[in-house]
Amino acid sequence: MKSLALENLSKTYFDPYRGTQHTAIKDVSLKVDEGDFVAVVGPSGCGKSTILNMIAGFVPTSGGRIMVGGREVRGPGPDRGVVFQSFALFPWKTVAENVTFGPKMRGASKEERAKIAEEYLALAGLSHAADRYPNELSGGMQQRVGVVRALANNPDVLLMDEPFASVDAQTRMTLQEELTKIWEERRPTVIFITHDVSEAVFLANKVVVLSKGHVLEEVDIPLKRPRVWDDLVEDEAFKTLSNHVLQLVRRA
Amino acid sequence: MTAIYTIWGYYARWTARWPAMAAFVPFVPLIAAWGFIAWLEIFPPVFLPGPVEVVERAWTLLYKGILTDYLADSLSRLAVGAAVGMCIAIPLGVLIGLSRRAHDFAWPILLFFQAIGDIAWLPILLVWFGFGLTTMTFVIVYTVLFPVVLNTVLGIRSVKPELRRAAQSLGASKPRILLEVTLPGALPNIITGLRNGLGYGWRALIAAEIIVGTSGIGFLMFDARRAGSVEEIVVGMIVLGILWYIVDSWFLAPIERATGQRWGLVTS
Ligand SMILES: Nc1ncnc2c1ncn2[C@@H]1O[C@H](COP(=O)(O)OP(=O)(O)O)[C@@H](O)[C@H]1O
Ligand SMILES: [Mg+2]
Repeated sequence: MKSLALENLSKTYFDPYRGTQHTAIKDVSLKVDEGDFVAVVGPSGCGKSTILNMIAGFVPTSGGRIMVGGREVRGPGPDRGVVFQSFALFPWKTVAENVTFGPKMRGASKEERAKIAEEYLALAGLSHAADRYPNELSGGMQQRVGVVRALANNPDVLLMDEPFASVDAQTRMTLQEELTKIWEERRPTVIFITHDVSEAVFLANKVVVLSKGHVLEEVDIPLKRPRVWDDLVEDEAFKTLSNHVLQLVRRA
Repeated sequence: MTAIYTIWGYYARWTARWPAMAAFVPFVPLIAAWGFIAWLEIFPPVFLPGPVEVVERAWTLLYKGILTDYLADSLSRLAVGAAVGMCIAIPLGVLIGLSRRAHDFAWPILLFFQAIGDIAWLPILLVWFGFGLTTMTFVIVYTVLFPVVLNTVLGIRSVKPELRRAAQSLGASKPRILLEVTLPGALPNIITGLRNGLGYGWRALIAAEIIVGTSGIGFLMFDARRAGSVEEIVVGMIVLGILWYIVDSWFLAPIERATGQRWGLVTS
């Protein structure tokens, strides 16, 4: 895992129907240290996905630079693992085949892949579902696969765009706790996009509040770890921080 | 009422054991009606033979080996034509589906030739290739081509962009993405296209055999007309229906179930 830096990043979309330019991101700079967990929050349409898609290399930047581990990003690559809101699992591949897709692409042998599948399915608590197809799993299980599929490819940075937004509230809390646990054990570098303030505060070391395409404020989250919801729902510091971020988001 | 339910229960269990039989049952009243009308002799028997005469005729044809020979001829023509058609249509569809430029270039041509139905080609094909296998193969290839190309294009385009993005972020190269993501994603549509294409191709083949054939089920039917054997014509018609049912429900539908439905891409 390596650090990530956004330097004066901007993005302008062209609307071919109206013939107008629309600035979605203007002059965003951000540093994410190696092994850090940064959440980006902001109201819908403020440019969260745009930033993530540029880091992932899915959409070109209009200005500025994105550096991952000292190298400038040009297009998508296996150094940046992505977890999608819609899971984006391959429906024609089993759970194990999905998880080992990255290793397969870099030429890992069958034995190697079997070991990787075993390790990461255990991490996701899905060892029993290795040979099932994604559509046979619940939404929560599918996203567990989505997360370990990205992790199993050993990316420098993990990019997550509202990954838990389409599962039910109970499952979401479980997934958040599981992700925290994985992060606390393995310390991947994570950028986590969400519109859910308490999710951001629960997971991250730092919450970046985005407003109309620029950074409104960076809020440090010095809550102790390990974090579990049972401890934090009643925690005063958690409440204060959440309220503070919520106020910022509502102003945004 | 309960008696009806009991009988229905027996029927449901019995058809669950033998699904092929279940497909035959709806034809029972149809055949009965046919037999009844033929028995009334509203139409003279040389116009409308009864089921018994037709079955007898089918048995004779089978016994002489004519039916099986002609069947084999028709089926192998369909198989060759469909195979050639797919070999052209699938790569073409993939290309058009992937490349904007290929699409812009090929689409008008495709639509133009789609309008010229398969049979409309026969006059010029007869001039070029005469009465023979080339002409018939051309017609089938032509018929299979369009539904497969159009459905392949549709399939390629309906693959969710997120899946390609996911593959890119996992380090897949362009050829690997095509192989591991785009083609499997398009497969259900390709199979639908194939199913349609074979259905049209089968009908086109019979038409072609009627006009240019020297063997085959279409030829059998047309030849029977010349000989004045209505039984034989009806045998040909029935064989066409049965055969298509077998091809579709024993081969094509299971492939569809094993792919798209299994993966949750199409709901049954
Ligand atoms: N492909 C696109 N073309 C044009 N405009 C876009 C495109 N994607 C996003 N936008 C616009 O950019 C802004 C930010 O969008 P997005 O990054 O999706 O916001 P968020 O993820 O925070 O909801 C919105 O106004 C949206 O309409
Ligand atoms: Mg978004």
